[in-house]
Amino acid sequence: MEMTISPNFLNTNPYKHLFDLVLKADLTLFSRAKMIDDDLDLNGQISGSESESEYEGSEVVRLAEPAKESIYNKDGLIDKLGDISWPDNVEWIHKLSVDIDTQEDVNVEDDIARELSFFTQALEGTRQAFVKLESMGLPFLRPSDYYAEMVKTDSHMEKIRGSLLAEKREIEEREEKRKAREAKKLAKEVQAEKQKERAKQKKEMIESVKKWRKQRQRNGFAGGDEDGEMVMDFEEGKAFERSSKKRPGVSPGDRSGGKAGQFGGKGKKGMNKKANRREFRNSKFGFGGRKGLKKQNTAETTDDLGSFNKSNPRNKRHKA
Amino acid sequence: MGKKRKHNESEAAEPAKQDDGFAPERPKRTLLGWKDKPEEKGTDSQVFRNKEKVLVTCSRRINFRYRHLMLNMVSLLPNCKKDNKVESKETKGATLNELVELRNCSSCLFFECRKHQDLYLWMAKCPGGPSVKFLVKAVHTMEELKLTGNHLKGSRPLLTFSNNFDKDPHWKLLKELLMQIFATPKDHRKAKPYHDHVFVFSILDNHIWFRNYQISVPHNEANKVDRGGLEKMTLVEVGPRFCLNPIKIFGGSFGGPTLYENPFYVSPNLERALKKKQKASKFAKKVKAKTRRKMHELSNHLEPDEFTDLWNE
Repeated sequence: MEMTISPNFLNTNPYKHLFDLVLKADLTLFSRAKMIDDDLDLNGQISGSESESEYEGSEVVRLAEPAKESIYNKDGLIDKLGDISWPDNVEWIHKLSVDIDTQEDVNVEDDIARELSFFTQALEGTRQAFVKLESMGLPFLRPSDYYAEMVKTDSHMEKIRGSLLAEKREIEEREEKRKAREAKKLAKEVQAEKQKERAKQKKEMIESVKKWRKQRQRNGFAGGDEDGEMVMDFEEGKAFERSSKKRPGVSPGDRSGGKAGQFGGKGKKGMNKKANRREFRNSKFGFGGRKGLKKQNTAETTDDLGSFNKSNPRNKRHKA
Repeated sequence: MGKKRKHNESEAAEPAKQDDGFAPERPKRTLLGWKDKPEEKGTDSQVFRNKEKVLVTCSRRINFRYRHLMLNMVSLLPNCKKDNKVESKETKGATLNELVELRNCSSCLFFECRKHQDLYLWMAKCPGGPSVKFLVKAVHTMEELKLTGNHLKGSRPLLTFSNNFDKDPHWKLLKELLMQIFATPKDHRKAKPYHDHVFVFSILDNHIWFRNYQISVPHNEANKVDRGGLEKMTLVEVGPRFCLNPIKIFGGSFGGPTLYENPFYVSPNLERALKKKQKASKFAKKVKAKTRRKMHELSNHLEPDEFTDLWNE
């Protein structure tokens, strides 16, 4: 509400002071109302008001979201795009860019689908680019003997290789363990069978020896050749069955039976760990232990001069 | 200086003498050496030369992961110049622009890390060009052991953009910016000849996702793929990986009028505050539910059960 008051009226009016007061009051009221109006109007625009005032003269299209309003200056964007873009007749070889069609329905949360979409985009892009490059005739594929600095160092690639190999080994080991578990079940049964067989044989052997002794007693210890009377298994063919496991390099003079250095190096993994360990400790400590193997004159020890000056000079007791 | 003047004078005298002589004119002597008669420069001025130079810097107090990301970018872009860390005061105002001018670069990648947690990436074209501020998420650097590919350092990349870059003007502008910054110039000193890696820029859920793959294709010659080789092409990821969320696009470099504001952008501080509020409201909700239950029980009494007095005796 605006009041146009001619200057004459004010000067000639006797109630001028009152009018002055009213005018001022009105004016202040008016301005306050305007400010309130302004607030209501610029509610969402306050954030963008500075920019609007600076960028006058262009359409400012406001993007009204249900909760937000934000600036979207289409013309400004297109102007800037025109400013910075390269001229249109630039050859493709400078840009090397390809545009790929994509499907919109990839869920961002689904990692595999997302990575797959990127992968297919890259694949499609390189295919198109390679077709173009081939038609240009320029070399674009790296020859196998071209050695130059790579973006990852060789040591880093070694680490990667190591981790990949470790993964593969883990998988294989897991497979093997599973198979061993299965085989163990079978093996248990087979082992039980073998034990029974051996016990039976032992019994038979003892029985046959007893029989032979009885027969001999009956015949009054007559010597000479008694052929065909007793069948002694151990003479004929089936000797006492030793374990067919050959212990490599067991020499005749070796009283430990080849087990002297066996367990210290690398123990066999898996099921026969415990059995091996038991065997080894039996051979070392059983029945009084290994006697007198400490000093031996063998082929290996004659040339071995390492045992001289072996003791730690720090531990040597200084004879005062 | 005197000598030079003499030389000029003699030069001026000679051609006058030899004009009607039989011997051909001596090549003109200039400060840089002998030059033959100037040839016609018809098409030379029209040839396009990509002279893009990128300045890569970061703010102080940057995280180790983001620093490695920056170093990875430096190794991916042979046309970049890496500069020292910038003080926090200098990120606003004209100091960054001056720095870029000083180093004679035409664009800038500025990695700003705030609160040791959030990485903002500024991409700007420096003399007067537009600039963008991104929030960077989902960062995986090249040093991760799961990313097993490798490529020549400095070879020119193939760039692929998803087609939804052409749908809106702000995406078009971003596409142009990305292309100019990430494409290695053709005749750059440090550029290596072959093309063995490809960049992927794709828009999903209003974010720009970046991937870098190594191309391995069976071939015997350098300029031809084996027959059927295109089908057998495999890509191995080299890294790095990140996801950009555009926050604002400005008309000037590191400032200026806002051309675009992302309506879906939520600042990371706000995100954290919202999460905390959600957690805090758990207890309040529980208490409310308890009181509600009490009121409900008071208002609706249960009917006395027929078995309540069974064992009373």
